This record gives sequence, structure tokens and C-alpha cells, in this order.
Amino acid sequence: MNPMNYVYLSSFLFAIGAAGVLLRRNAIVVFMCVELMLNACNLAFVTFARMQGNLDGQVIAFFVMVVAAAEVVVGLSIIVVIFRTRRSASVDGANLLKY
Amino acid sequence: MTAYVPIIVLGAIALGFAMFSIVAGALTGPRRYNRAKLDAYECGIEPTPQPVGGGRFPVKYYLTAMLFIIFDIEIVFLYPWAVYFDSLRIFGLVEMVLFIATLLVVYAYVWRRGGLDWD
Amino acid sequence: MNPVLAVGPALPFHAPNVEYSDLLPMLIVLGVAVVGVLVEAFMGRRYRFEVQLVLAVAGLLAAFVSVVSLAGTNKVLVGGAVAIDGPALFLQGTILLLATLGVLSSAERSLDTGGVFTSAGSAIPGSEHERLLTATGVVQTEVFPLMMFAIGGMLLFPASNDLLTMFVALEVLSLPLYLLCGLARRRRLLSQEASMKYFLLGAFSSAFFLYGVALLYGYAGTVRLSGIATAVSSNASSESLLLMGTALVAVGLLFKIGAVPFHSWTPDVYQGAPTPITGFMAACTKVAAFGALLRVFYVGVGGMAWDWQPMMWAVAILTMVIGSVVAITQTDVKRMLAYSSIAHAGFVLTGLVATGAVAKSGEILGVSSVLFYLVAYGFTTIGAFALVTVVRDAGGEATHLSQWAGLAQRSPLVAWTFTLFLAAFAGIPLTSGFTGKFAVFSAAIAGDATPLVVVGVVMSAVAAFFYFRVVVLMFFSAPALDGPTVAVPSALTTVTIAMGALVTVVLGVWPSQVLDLAGQASIFVR
Repeated sequence: MNPMNYVYLSSFLFAIGAAGVLLRRNAIVVFMCVELMLNACNLAFVTFARMQGNLDGQVIAFFVMVVAAAEVVVGLSIIVVIFRTRRSASVDGANLLKY
Repeated sequence: MTAYVPIIVLGAIALGFAMFSIVAGALTGPRRYNRAKLDAYECGIEPTPQPVGGGRFPVKYYLTAMLFIIFDIEIVFLYPWAVYFDSLRIFGLVEMVLFIATLLVVYAYVWRRGGLDWD
Repeated sequence: MNPVLAVGPALPFHAPNVEYSDLLPMLIVLGVAVVGVLVEAFMGRRYRFEVQLVLAVAGLLAAFVSVVSLAGTNKVLVGGAVAIDGPALFLQGTILLLATLGVLSSAERSLDTGGVFTSAGSAIPGSEHERLLTATGVVQTEVFPLMMFAIGGMLLFPASNDLLTMFVALEVLSLPLYLLCGLARRRRLLSQEASMKYFLLGAFSSAFFLYGVALLYGYAGTVRLSGIATAVSSNASSESLLLMGTALVAVGLLFKIGAVPFHSWTPDVYQGAPTPITGFMAACTKVAAFGALLRVFYVGVGGMAWDWQPMMWAVAILTMVIGSVVAITQTDVKRMLAYSSIAHAGFVLTGLVATGAVAKSGEILGVSSVLFYLVAYGFTTIGAFALVTVVRDAGGEATHLSQWAGLAQRSPLVAWTFTLFLAAFAGIPLTSGFTGKFAVFSAAIAGDATPLVVVGVVMSAVAAFFYFRVVVLMFFSAPALDGPTVAVPSALTTVTIAMGALVTVVLGVWPSQVLDLAGQASIFVR
């Protein structure tokens, strides 16, 4: 099977994630879409590692997983604090800062 | 095929240990059932009637989940290190000890600040 | 099955050589951060604040000394992951000095009881729990280790020689900043909202950066900048991967510097975050991110400058125009300074696009002018935001512009100092802003980007308009009866403001030393 198909798949996943970030209203869902984008990156890395014939991409995927986990922790804590304050995790609800 | 012998042996030992534990527990332990013991184990949520929409989780669950994620995922670095342990030698060992020590600092912080207390 | 992939432990593997002594600045800062976490864990509440402050400042100064002692180093370390060269050391030194001022002003406790930061980030705003905590005078001293972690990431960011290291550095500097933004003592709803916006958009942009890295890896087979440069010059592989990868990496980096069209977070976050943190972010993050941007575009994809320069031209023009024009309509001092920081990012970009400008001495004008501008802008910004914290009313900082009317009558010193900072932002001669603008514009002219300079000069004039509107407001308007008072800060904020003002004047009047230093530091190791 042509490995390039996996790159296409990763770009679709990335686009779905990006669209989700822009369209969804719940901060948790937005955040999950960001995670989908990071995982799309991982798929691309691993696929390119196979195509290039070296292991760099697979090692990078490890690092991305760890960074993504750290990001989950920080992000979730921020969203939980916001939710406790406002009783809602809607991105539209957070609209005090403008102009 | 000989390369797989250790794996098969390991699997057999694991299977044997699991079966021994279950059988030994069933044979030797006292049996006093109550409601709580028949509930789903380690799922965290009471299986009793829930409010519409599933209800809300106490923040504690998020805290525990976050701690679990951050400590769990660091294991990922141990695999490549273990695979290449022979060629990394003392350098790899020192770096990995430093890495785990840093995690230990975080663990100490969480523990001292009450992140591990449920109440 | 591709035979190359059947690799296992049999593949020879050499442990990289880690040159700890050359990495000392970063190791000190991150080490102090880890010690700070231990202090949080094991030390009693009473002494934590002082201990953390002393640790942080001592660590930053020690790291600065080690940066100075490394001066002249020009090599690639840790198996090619980190480059310690002129630009990296220059920017690391700058970041460390700015961060010291940032830590000092964040530690201010005499303006507001308990200090700048909330007593507990987890307490619900307005709740009884929060009131109790505030009454006991508890402080969230975790801010110091968080700042140190962020600074460690900032030090690594401009020094990272491969894109993976750069991504890790980007996250190490960003994640603590997301949290710091949400810890203000006053106006906590705004602060938390700023934190969430910054986090969601920051994570979004770093995902773009990462996908760009993936595409560049697919193009070059390595994420090392020198390897990408080799692949670019040999034109080996599919060009579309290269172009898309470069564009996506640029999105991630331009987001961090707050360039248009990736700027929308800047005003909200700068307004909502605790003001000393805003100053710290505005100065240090920008310095670090421009360092990374320079390295990617000069070392990594410098060979295809013809392809990315049009994009950078467009971004620079948009950034200057939108930053300057939208600033005019602002009514909040912090938002106004945020738009001004956007405009300044545009001015710096004009220096960055001048890739072809090389002086006779071998100095890369594009790099040296950007380095100088970042020093000048960083000190002025951190001083200006520190100054905003001393103008207060009962609700905390009085940041609405109308409240600043007639400030000169209440405190001529504050009004004059703020005028100095605004003059530097506007680029008036004898301030550092003028020297910096002169440097980037002359580099841009030498690099055949004269149209950019025309836009830059026009936009400087537009920007000068709104800065002077504020000056007029401070000096020639009658103060409101219930207007804010100028609080007397402790030595911590005073030092920050004074250093900001001093550097602003010195770099305007005697810039030659720093200009020379930036010139000598303008060459990247390849």
C-alpha cells in the first residue's frame, strides 16, 4: 500500500480537528479537536519515518505524546477552573474581553 | 522460533499467577457479601439513578485523571531507553535517573500539597 | 515490507555527547525551577515567598553570568539539537535580564495586599473560600517556579537547532504562561478568560507548527535545520511539502510574536493577564520567538528566501498597519500597549526580511538590527507595563484611558516616565525606539525592501499620533475628581521602571556599544 495515503489521512484528520476548533462551542470539545490535530501530526511523523527509512519520526512521536499529555493537564485545569467559576465551559460565554 | 520461547514462558507464568491468585482467593478468603461489594469495581460512579445528562463529576476525578496522565505518559521514554540500554550504558542510566528524579520532585509536590488525598 | 524498517537493537547507536558546561544557563534556570517546586513542597508557608524570590533572582543572575562567560562560543551541541552561537547567546542574555525585571515586578506586594497574584488559583472568584484565603494572606508562590520554567523554555527556543527541540521549547515556555495569565488577584474573571483564550489559541497554533514540522521532516528526512538547508539547496524532494511545511511552521512562530493575522489573542491576553506578567510576556516571549523565527528562516529555509519573502512582506505590512491603526481606537491602556506590541512585531519583521543585507564587516544586518530592536523594545515594554501597575483606584489598576487624564498633576514623575516610554514606542530620536527603528529600516533598505520601509515610516507616524494623544491627555486634561491615585511601589517595581527608563535613554543616546555587540553576534552557526 502506498504510504502516501497515510499522509493524506493525517491531513484529513488535521483538517477535521482544525474545523472542530473553529466550529465547536464547548471548550472541552475544542480542546479534544486540538488533540486530534496533534495526533494527526503523529501519524504524519510515523508515516514519513517509514518513507524516509529512518527512525527520527517515531522518536518525535514519543515527544509529541508527552507534550500533548502535559498540554492536556494544563488545559484541563484551566477549563475546570473556568467551569467552576461560570458553571459553563462554553467558549462563547467567555466574552468579557473585547475592544 | 526459539526467540519466542522467553515470551511464551513469561505468558505462561503470568497466566499461572493470575489463575493461582483467583483460585487461592476464592478458596481461602471469607465470603460476606453486601451491596457495595456487588457494585461495579473502580469505575468511580454510583450505578444508582443518575440525573439527566449523566450528572457532574466532582473535580477530584479530573485531578486524579490529570495526575495519572502526566505520570503515566512519561513511561514512554523508558521503552526506547530499555531497548538501547546496552549501547547507552552509564550515560543512559545517569540521564534516566535524572529524568525520574525530576518526576519524583513533581510527585513530592503533589503529595505534600494534598493532591493525593481524596478528602 | 521495507527492509530498512526492520531495524532493532542491532542498529549501532551512539550516545550523544552532552556538553553540560555550554548548556549551563539553561540548566541553571531549569534547575532553580525544580528546586522551586521542592521549596513549594517542603517549606513552610511563611518563608516561601522570600525564598522563592531570592532563588529566582539569584538563578537568573547566575545564568546571565554564565551566558556572558560563554560569549564567543560558536558550536552545535547535544548531537546537533542545540546551537550556541552569537544570536542565541545575545538573545539568552537579553531574555535573562528582562526576565529578572519581570520577576522583580511580579513580586511586588506593597501595591496590593498579598501581591499581584491570587491567593489560590483554584478558589472560585467571589466565594467565601476565596475571601477566607485572602484574609489569611496566603499567596500562590508557585508563580516563581512557573516563571522559571517559562524562562528555561525561552532560553532554549532561540538556541534550538532542530525543529523537535524547538517544539519542546515552545511548549515549555507556553504552558506555564497559560497558567500565569489566569492568576490575577483582581478582575479574576477577565484573567481566567484570558488564560483560556491564550491556551486554546496557543495550543491551536502549536498544532500548526507541529504539522509544519512533520511536512518538513517528510521533505528533508530530518528535522535538523542544517539538514533541511541541505535538502533545500539540493532541491531533492517534493517542493510542495517544503512550501506547506514552511508556511505552517511560520504560522506557529508568527502566532507567538503576535503578527497579523495571528494576533487576535494578543489584546485580550495582555489585558486580562496580571500586568507584570503581561510585561514579562510581551518582552521575553517576543524576544525568544523572534530568535526562533530568525533561526528557522535564516538557517533552515534561508536557501529559499525568494519563496518565503513575499509572505513575510505581506505579514509585515499587515502587522504594522493593523497594529498601528487599531491602536488608535483603544480606550484601555493595556489594550493600547498590546496593539502597540503588535505594530512593533511588524517593524521587527521588516528587519527580518532583509536577508541579503550584509555589511562589509561580515555583519548580517537583518539579524543584528532585529537583535538590537528586541533589546530596545523589551526594556521599554517591561518598564511601561510596570508603570501601569502604579496608577490605581479602589478596584485595582486604573487602566481606562479616561482615568489617566491629568495624571501629570497628580504625579509629574509618573507622567514624564510614561511619556519617555511612549516616545520610545513612537521612535522619537534620543530614545532607544528611534535607534531600533533606524537599524531595522536601514537593514531593510540594504536588503531591497524599500516599500516596507515606506509603510513602516508612515505607520510610525500613525502610531506617534495615538501615543501623543495619551501624552496630551496626561498633561493637558483636567483630572477627574474621583480619579486614580499614583501608589508608591516598593523597590521591586521601582527598579523595574527605572531600569526600563535607563536602558531606553542609554540606547537612544549611546547605542554604539550594544549595536556593536549585536553586529558581532549576528552570525548563526550552521
